[in-house]
Amino acid sequence: MIVYVYDGTFEGLLTSIYDSFYRKEIPTRITYMQEEQKDFLTTYINITTDEVKFNKVYNAIKDKISYHSLQNIYYAFLSEQKDCEIAIYNYLRLGFKIGKSIDGYLSNNNVLIINDFSRKVQKERHAMLGLIRFMELDKGLLYAKIQPKYNILSLVSPHFEKRLASENWVIHDENRNKASIYTDGEWYITELKLENEIEISNKEKLFQSLWQNYFHSISIKERKNLKLQQQNMPKRYWVNLIEKNM
Amino acid sequence: MEILTKLQILSDAAKYDVSCSSSGSTRKNSKGGLGNAAVSGICHSWSEDGRCISLFKILFSNECIYNCAYCSSKITNDVRRATFTPEEVVSLTMNFYKRNYIEGLFLSSAVYKSPDYTMELLIKTVQMLRENKFNGYIHLKGIPGADNTLINRAGLYVDRMSVNIELPSEASLQALAPQKKKESIIKPMSLIKNGIIQNKEEKMNYRKTPSFLPAGQTTQLIVGASPEPDLNILKLSEGLYKRFTMKRVYYSAYIPVFESSTLPSIQTKPPLLREHRLYQADWLLRFYGFNADELLNSNNPNFDLELDPKCFWALENIHIFPLEVNKADYTELIRVPGIGIRSAMKIVTARRMSKLDYEDLKKLGVVLKRAKYFITCKGKYYGGISINPISIKQVLLDRPESYSTQLSIFDMFPDSLVRKEASSNITGEF
Ligand code: SF4
Repeated sequence: MIVYVYDGTFEGLLTSIYDSFYRKEIPTRITYMQEEQKDFLTTYINITTDEVKFNKVYNAIKDKISYHSLQNIYYAFLSEQKDCEIAIYNYLRLGFKIGKSIDGYLSNNNVLIINDFSRKVQKERHAMLGLIRFMELDKGLLYAKIQPKYNILSLVSPHFEKRLASENWVIHDENRNKASIYTDGEWYITELKLENEIEISNKEKLFQSLWQNYFHSISIKERKNLKLQQQNMPKRYWVNLIEKNM
Repeated sequence: MEILTKLQILSDAAKYDVSCSSSGSTRKNSKGGLGNAAVSGICHSWSEDGRCISLFKILFSNECIYNCAYCSSKITNDVRRATFTPEEVVSLTMNFYKRNYIEGLFLSSAVYKSPDYTMELLIKTVQMLRENKFNGYIHLKGIPGADNTLINRAGLYVDRMSVNIELPSEASLQALAPQKKKESIIKPMSLIKNGIIQNKEEKMNYRKTPSFLPAGQTTQLIVGASPEPDLNILKLSEGLYKRFTMKRVYYSAYIPVFESSTLPSIQTKPPLLREHRLYQADWLLRFYGFNADELLNSNNPNFDLELDPKCFWALENIHIFPLEVNKADYTELIRVPGIGIRSAMKIVTARRMSKLDYEDLKKLGVVLKRAKYFITCKGKYYGGISINPISIKQVLLDRPESYSTQLSIFDMFPDSLVRKEASSNITGEF
């Protein structure tokens, strides 16, 4: 058994793939977790993330397979599903063999897994674009709290970069203690853990209550359908929705 | 009057309007501006009736001089009245947008003082929004009877405009909304249509031509307030799509709020399922290549409430089935009950690599619950019963589809379109 240990970044993962190719060895697992009990029969190989190797693999995927596949595995990676790394590895091995036509192999298990992970992440990204709620803090700073299942900060930020271009904003992923910070026309992701609750201004309180009010009066009671509401807007998102917290 | 009270009154009065999607426009943010429009549309919330909230939907005013029988803002109704100022609407819209509550504004109005007067107020509002560099989506209701030049001017500021057809026939319009004439509805529609066409031509010649209604026009009609059968409604929609290049026709089940000799009694339940069937049928018109005459005829002028329109059609045309999934072409596949655009595309793609059997279809994620009665895979039939309409209807009804799943925004887009747009948005953001 060979286990690759990488640093948990996408760059690191693609570096692992490069190394595996040149070492002519096939890992059974790729992980960034510290293994609790090291198994005596397993060889652990530490992968050092390397930008040159990363770029080579990145471009190879784009040129020899497709840009779409590249996106797919990036999304699958962000799903943080257990063993998504080895799934990506297997998918790419197939991809390098058959090239662009990989998307047609819809009944191949490796392809299925990646498509499935990728679809879940895309779905949450899309939901989040609508469900993120900003609060206006001092000096007009917009702050949003989220608790997504998948690691979607890097996927939602470009959307708000365009939309809220002339604002300063923060999207805070509380599950991962990370935040995307946008200021001076650029966003970056950084560690963030807040010690105290955020305090909001009176103006912010007014708009929150206006919104809650609107939310209530817009619903038609003759058509009440809470099941459908929940089906479209899963409960796990409610904690951060102004209109659901009154 | 306090803004909170106005908001309550004027959102309450706007809630029966159903067209609220924000799709079909790409508006880029300008320097120092707020907002843009996303092609695929984004839902921001779902109200307790399960409908998606994408746009901030309000009436500018509910102080109406008209008296349409079905409407709660009509002049003879005793309700609280309010009228916004343009500044108020601008502030609410921009602040809601900034907080990411909404995708844009849907602004409609009762006829306040006169059609022209109302239209001018609406124009002032949207103009002010754009001058404040608001680049989010705006859908504006054209007021029937307003002057041509006003309708045209409004088109320069907004993404979509709609004039409601309201009722499926002139006779019903006459009976229930006597101040609205067919003419005053149809005329702005063709004006809008011509404006869009003209703008497209100008755009080809001069790149800098400002957009005129980039998301096109839609309309809405009320189902069940008047006696027309589904056949008339569907034919009307078909005509609207063809003649006015309508983007969407929306259907709104009539909810009785008044006791009146000309209207269904107040005890009547809103015909939600009928509304749903019409949406499904409308979908078949726009994306599945059906025409109204195939779906309904004078012997069958209404849809079967128990069966969705595609099943209904398939059972009427059982002689075409079963279809062999490895042979049928795409346009045939999408006519199979249970097979949608996305599944059909998957089938067509996957069968290039190898012939598909029943298990392969499952793997592709094709839902076979209904489809299995209408197809064969490698020549084999998996329906398990004889192919005749009566027995198939029987088994289909034993497992009725869930009626509670009304329309969600995802039903409004065929999966394939959503997928395509989603991935094209991602490109460049990766
Ligand atoms: S014109 Fe519009 S607001 Fe006025 S009564 Fe008729 S439907 Fe209602």
